[in-house]
Amino acid sequence: MKNESTVVERIVTTTESVTLSRYWMVSALIGLLFSSVAGLLVSLERIDLSSASIFSTADDVFQFWTAHRVALVLIAVLPLMIGLATAIVPRQVGSSRLVFPRMSAFSFWVWLFGALIIIIGFLANGGVGTPDATSETQSVALTLVGVLLTIIGICGASTSVLTTIVAGRAPGISLLNIPAFSWSVLVAGTMWLATLPVLVANTVLVYVDMRGRAPVNFGSEAVVWEQLSWAFTHPQIYLWVLPLLGIVAEIISAAFKNKISNPFLFTAIGLTGAAGFGAYAQTYFDIGTPVFEEAFSIIQAFIAIPAVLLVVAFISPKIKDLKGFDKQTTTPAVLATLSIVLLLHGVVVGAVHVIGPLELSTRSTVSAQIVLTLGAGVLACMAAFSWWGELLIGKSISQRKILISGLTFHFGVGIFAVADFLVGFTGQNDFTGVSEFAAGTDGSSWVETLNIISFIGSLLILLGVIAAIATTVQHVLSKTPATGNPWGADTLEWKSKEKEEVA
Amino acid sequence: MATILPPAPLNRPRTLMVGTAFITSAALMFFGCLFSIYFSIRSDTLAWGMEWFPENAIELVPGGMNMATLSISVATMGWAAYAVKNDDRIHAYLALILTAVMGIAMINQTVFYYMDIGLPIDHSEAALLLYVITGAHLVMVGIGVIWLGLLLLRAFGGQDTSRHRDLVSAASIYWYSTVFIYIFIWLFIYIGK
Repeated sequence: MKNESTVVERIVTTTESVTLSRYWMVSALIGLLFSSVAGLLVSLERIDLSSASIFSTADDVFQFWTAHRVALVLIAVLPLMIGLATAIVPRQVGSSRLVFPRMSAFSFWVWLFGALIIIIGFLANGGVGTPDATSETQSVALTLVGVLLTIIGICGASTSVLTTIVAGRAPGISLLNIPAFSWSVLVAGTMWLATLPVLVANTVLVYVDMRGRAPVNFGSEAVVWEQLSWAFTHPQIYLWVLPLLGIVAEIISAAFKNKISNPFLFTAIGLTGAAGFGAYAQTYFDIGTPVFEEAFSIIQAFIAIPAVLLVVAFISPKIKDLKGFDKQTTTPAVLATLSIVLLLHGVVVGAVHVIGPLELSTRSTVSAQIVLTLGAGVLACMAAFSWWGELLIGKSISQRKILISGLTFHFGVGIFAVADFLVGFTGQNDFTGVSEFAAGTDGSSWVETLNIISFIGSLLILLGVIAAIATTVQHVLSKTPATGNPWGADTLEWKSKEKEEVA
Repeated sequence: MATILPPAPLNRPRTLMVGTAFITSAALMFFGCLFSIYFSIRSDTLAWGMEWFPENAIELVPGGMNMATLSISVATMGWAAYAVKNDDRIHAYLALILTAVMGIAMINQTVFYYMDIGLPIDHSEAALLLYVITGAHLVMVGIGVIWLGLLLLRAFGGQDTSRHRDLVSAASIYWYSTVFIYIFIWLFIYIGK
């Protein structure tokens, strides 16, 4: 019988994991563009903080500063990871299709709707409130609805992927035999399901208090960000990029023809996941005995370093023998290595900024760590696109273009992070709005120079993102067919053909 | 002569149970956060010598009645799962209907209590947290009742049998977690105040 469904119907009703994965990743790249533009504008404003140049008030700067972080996590990094997992995990664990495919499709559309609402909320002077409460209350409420919808979407898609790993595996494949990427998604997804509902609880409390009457406490626009900020900073950000470790292990393993899959590597990934649990670190509710929590936070910060080092330790012996290196894999191997280098720097900066005497906990150092860690996640996704691109879009992949966009992005993150890390030592605050500047910095020429360097970093990040989007579009439109298994990798995803549309 | 053996039976893991367990754990974390905030602010308020709930605002009877209702529903939900497992369709209908009625009764009692309590939501942080926590739980019970309604529809259509009982088992996991959360609401809000 002739299939009479229209293109729109097919787009909206598809349940095929690879198609859904493309939707997630393309939408996330647009979210990343939004986040990068917001970050660039804030960096531009910081060059001359003696007066407002492109924004009219410090509250406007704050709006874009928070938009950069919220978008980076909820509508860029997390959906990129989900998109990858949606396509790759079912193939890696030998499942004929994603478990709960309709829920996965529904989750994408809910997330997309939420992401659009978040962007509109920020552009309508809402966002997550402002310190002087000059934002539009209705728009703040709208943004919160967007945050809730994106989280529901991410949780739904995560549940689908996790259930595929736990209950949809092919018979004979034990959890300890699954590839490193699937394992890292299992750990990350479980921790996302443990922490995102906490963010939902915070958001619901703020929303209910905000609607229809004068707020009691939580719904005051001046304190909204304070209640939600734990999800966008140390240590929680390690959790958002956790699948990075699996991506790197897989690529390095195949590039050096040396299988990396052992319980110790899996334990190290699990330990990093545990170190990333940050739902307890809600400074807004710190009363009573903060000493314990502070001590816990410091211990946790330093645990993250050995955890990531352990992963590196399991991977690095494979790199030692360069003779075994397959030159074909240069692009994914370089990007994967650079991403773990960025992550390692991120956890070190994270540990440095909790050292009390340095007084860096509210300085620009925080911003350096966030961009290093989340940037590592984005770079790992670029490496993954380079690696699994043929499976994702079914076309041949131009490695050189991905390498150029990845390197541009990497240098942007590096330059931005170095400048922000150093300027943090001069006393520049993490949020450097116009009015905050005078109180937080000495205004020396050093600070201005470092802020200019930081702006150049932001510009490179944006250029890298634009290049990545252009490369993706070019690949989607390309007519060069996929070559099959270009790397000679031996994991299951390269050997399975799927036909999984749900009737 | 070569004998072709039939393939080994595929011990298919129960995906619906696993998925429900993940979602239920997420719901537990949601309420865990709300309770943490509740205790944190309550402790702070009391430490300053201030009043948490106004005198006699929180009555023991409505919370106790809800707890009793939900406790009975645990038994009826277990009965439904047992009946479906044993292909006892009549008892399965009866047990599912009873569980749904218990859920509706719980919602009805809570809404009545909201009308009766005379404590506006903007009275204090305590009032706000009371309504958010019990309201969120009410939503959870409501979802459970809708799920039970769908189960009944499927049962009447003959789809819930001992071979296809996952949906009933998954619903029971969800329902038990709903009751589990209410135990904390009853203990710490209605009794502990």
